[in-house]
Amino acid sequence: MADLPPMTTVKRWLVTTNHKDVGILYIATAIFFLLLGGAMALIFRIQLWEPGGVGILSGNEFNQAVTTHGLLMVFWFLSPIASGFANYLVPLQIGAKDLAFPRMNALSYWFYLFSGVLLIISFFQQGTFAGGWTMYAPLNVPTYTPAMEATTGGNAVILGLMLFVISITIGTVNFLVTIHRSRAEGLGLWNMPLFTWSWLLTVWMMLFAFAALLAALLLLVSDRVLLTQYFATDQGSSLLWAHLFWFFGHPEVYIVFFPALGIMFETFQTFTGRRLVGRKWVIIAMVLVAVQSFLVWMHHMFLTTINLEIKTLMMATTIGISLPFDLMVFALIYTMVKGRVRFTTPFLFSLGALVLFILGGITGVFLGAVVLDYEFRGTYWVVAHFHYVMVSGVTALVGGIYYWWPKISGKMYSETLGKLNFAVYFIGFNMLYFPMFLAWETPRRVFHFAEGAQIYHQVATVGAFILGASFLIMILTLAKSWISGPDAPDNPWEFSRTAEWAIPSPPPLENWDGRPSYASGRLEFVEDSPAATDGGVAHGQGNQAEAAIEHEEEHADHASIWPFGIGVGTFVFFLGLSGLTPYIIDFAEGTPNPPEGLTGIAAEPNIMYPILTLVGIGIMGVTLYKFGMERFEVPEMKIAERWPFGGVGNTKFGVWVFLASDVVVFGAIIGAYIFMRIHMGWHEWTTVPFASWPGLLNTYVLLTSSFTVILALVMAERKNKKGLLGAMTATLLLGLTFMGVKAYEYSMKFADGEYWWYGLEYSIYYVTTGLHALHVILGLFIAVFMIYRIISVDAYLEDHRPVEFFGLYWHFVDIVWVLLFPLFYLM
Amino acid sequence: MADLRTYTIIYVLLLVLGTGKFVFFEFDFAYSIAIGGTILLAVAKIGLIAAYYQHLIEEPRSITYMMATAVFMVFLLTIAAGYSIQ
Ligand code: HEM
Ligand SMILES: [Cu+2]
Repeated sequence: MADLPPMTTVKRWLVTTNHKDVGILYIATAIFFLLLGGAMALIFRIQLWEPGGVGILSGNEFNQAVTTHGLLMVFWFLSPIASGFANYLVPLQIGAKDLAFPRMNALSYWFYLFSGVLLIISFFQQGTFAGGWTMYAPLNVPTYTPAMEATTGGNAVILGLMLFVISITIGTVNFLVTIHRSRAEGLGLWNMPLFTWSWLLTVWMMLFAFAALLAALLLLVSDRVLLTQYFATDQGSSLLWAHLFWFFGHPEVYIVFFPALGIMFETFQTFTGRRLVGRKWVIIAMVLVAVQSFLVWMHHMFLTTINLEIKTLMMATTIGISLPFDLMVFALIYTMVKGRVRFTTPFLFSLGALVLFILGGITGVFLGAVVLDYEFRGTYWVVAHFHYVMVSGVTALVGGIYYWWPKISGKMYSETLGKLNFAVYFIGFNMLYFPMFLAWETPRRVFHFAEGAQIYHQVATVGAFILGASFLIMILTLAKSWISGPDAPDNPWEFSRTAEWAIPSPPPLENWDGRPSYASGRLEFVEDSPAATDGGVAHGQGNQAEAAIEHEEEHADHASIWPFGIGVGTFVFFLGLSGLTPYIIDFAEGTPNPPEGLTGIAAEPNIMYPILTLVGIGIMGVTLYKFGMERFEVPEMKIAERWPFGGVGNTKFGVWVFLASDVVVFGAIIGAYIFMRIHMGWHEWTTVPFASWPGLLNTYVLLTSSFTVILALVMAERKNKKGLLGAMTATLLLGLTFMGVKAYEYSMKFADGEYWWYGLEYSIYYVTTGLHALHVILGLFIAVFMIYRIISVDAYLEDHRPVEFFGLYWHFVDIVWVLLFPLFYLM
Repeated sequence: MADLRTYTIIYVLLLVLGTGKFVFFEFDFAYSIAIGGTILLAVAKIGLIAAYYQHLIEEPRSITYMMATAVFMVFLLTIAAGYSIQ
């Protein structure tokens, strides 16, 4: 609502929803986490100076350092810095003024920041998570964590990661809607700049992959806080985790690499002065990789008990996925051969990235062969492989920083310093990671290794410090440029072609004066007279007067404090949750059948945590309400390319994208049930509910509520306030009835002392139906809010879309129940 | 949007299909028939809700494809994981 304060004030950065500001926040925060993750690495590299360690870290501290290093780099640095670039550049490259949902964009950022703060705090809760970045079961649950160690801190990390995933999901929805529905006239998908292409595919992969991770984390949090048994049994727990994690994890490695690849394509084009060779095929190859990335995950499970047939299949698909990559690599090489190369700093980094990636890719193919992996699994070969590929990505991202720095900061930097940076970086990189191939027999994640490997580890440690120093040079170079660098022109690079270079550096708040259009085949800025705008493509009807008014009102808001507020509330809430385990254990010990082996494993109860939980809920309630009530104008582009999602509004499409991710979250959790049941033997399963009739009753209740929701929509369309109010109230009452039946059903089990830790079946029953119930409860909150709006301001009679969107969600919840009923009550 | 009559018919259909699952398991059907029948009924129910109540049939087909992709992902994960331990 309020105007946007100037950039020099703190307030600006707390309230901004502008995509360029949010982009800068992302990049700066990501670099902070890079330094933190780097510090962890330097500490444990010192420990690795000699076999058995030099003694600066205890065993558990070493594990903590290795674990948080991995988590920080993969989650809190790599993806977010790419997010930062995407925030800043994608709207510019496609000719939009902002993302589709600017406030949601700010919310993604705050969730990201606060998720990282949770991780930092975890160090001070008697130690952070120490089970490795892959969080393999059963080392990820309290039963297998030594007494008193890190339960609270571990919880905070897992909860932090969950918050991070929520942030990613919100961002994913936002970018998919934006890229699909806000492209300038004439900018078909084929013509989209390659960085935007790579990001589009990244977010599509994120949508499905991160949903699986969210499912896994929900189950893990439930195990850690509520003491369910998903990952604590000897009946398939570790396989379940591995499947869920790697179904996410393999796409994730491309998720972190694709943006880097996009930057390489852009910089290769700009600095060879040539269009990418085989551009169309490169796009097709990227699409193929994105699809194939979901078909190889079990190559991370070659040493588990999965059968040989599936291992062989995964070996084949793994080889298959390297083929499109070969095509991309050759496209880059030919572009270089055919063009005239200018060895600027950004180009050097991109070229370096290519070289490193080739090495990393080749060593990956070794790992993809089942027999070879029997040798390599769990060794430094793997460590060397994935650092070559992932940090190759980092290399290109650093290239991206140098490429776009003049645009973002409006300043030029010293090429000499930039090249020095590259030289130090490249030397440090190879000194650090190449010896790991030579020391490959060292088992990963421990500091004991053969005497013969010592020299390699020492070279690596020295390399680590050199690589670290190169980042200091980078920061120095950029700081110097910021303070005393010459002003950057609109376009400092002779052959850059994308739209961000056609406007001032840095770009103005709303990016363009006119409307960007590619209708003529190249970028132009057209001035639309109001009548022409409205008479033409998008709307159809509407007379001149209306059109003029609409034009007047086309004012966009850029500031809201509520995303920050929601971020704070959620953060406090999650922090509170991290310390609830001791209370649950106390509670469990008072029941007839407490969980085995849990006594005394948790920290002492600390009353601060329950209080924080409640305070967090309070803050969330207030800020969400304020967010919902705030008037925040975001004009939808009138003329835009929208294939293939024309014909639905932005918000409706956004709701559907969100539902798609929720399908995967719930699907993975239902999948976990099916997997564990197959593992146990389908007919060995104990049916938990005391009878099937409550399930049937609730089926009727929910179906009826679906009907009343659709009735509400019909009433809203007819502008019938009474009918709308009645239908919404009926929905609310039916929802409450559903919860009542549920409560009765649970209480029947509790009366027999059969809580969720009573056995695996019980955990799965309570968690799955509980998560569904949570969806019902969230829906009821929305319903209450809407009823309040109908009563107080006659809402939704003019614009009934919110009723429709609520319905989409509510029907989805109904659909989930269609599956849960037979699965838990009948089969 | 469809009219109220269509919605009501679908509502009744959904109630019948929901009851059908219960019938399969409460009366003497072979377990495999009960499971197969229930899966069919569930698919029919989900199809009706998604197509009419969420009116996917009136939206651009691409939305349906997106949702189908999400469902495919779930099947992929569940079936491949289930098969891997056979
Ligand atoms: C040509 C393409 C690639 C192939 C064939 C390949 C193959 C593999 C295989 C088979 C493994 C499992 C090794 C084991 O644990 O025993 C692995 C691990 C890994 N790869 Fe790749 N990879 C490729 C590209 C990439 C890329 C592009 C990235 C990231 C940007 C990446 C990141 C990783 C990571 C992080 C791990 C280790 C995960 C862990 O256990 O902590 N890989 N790779
Ligand atoms: Cu992989």
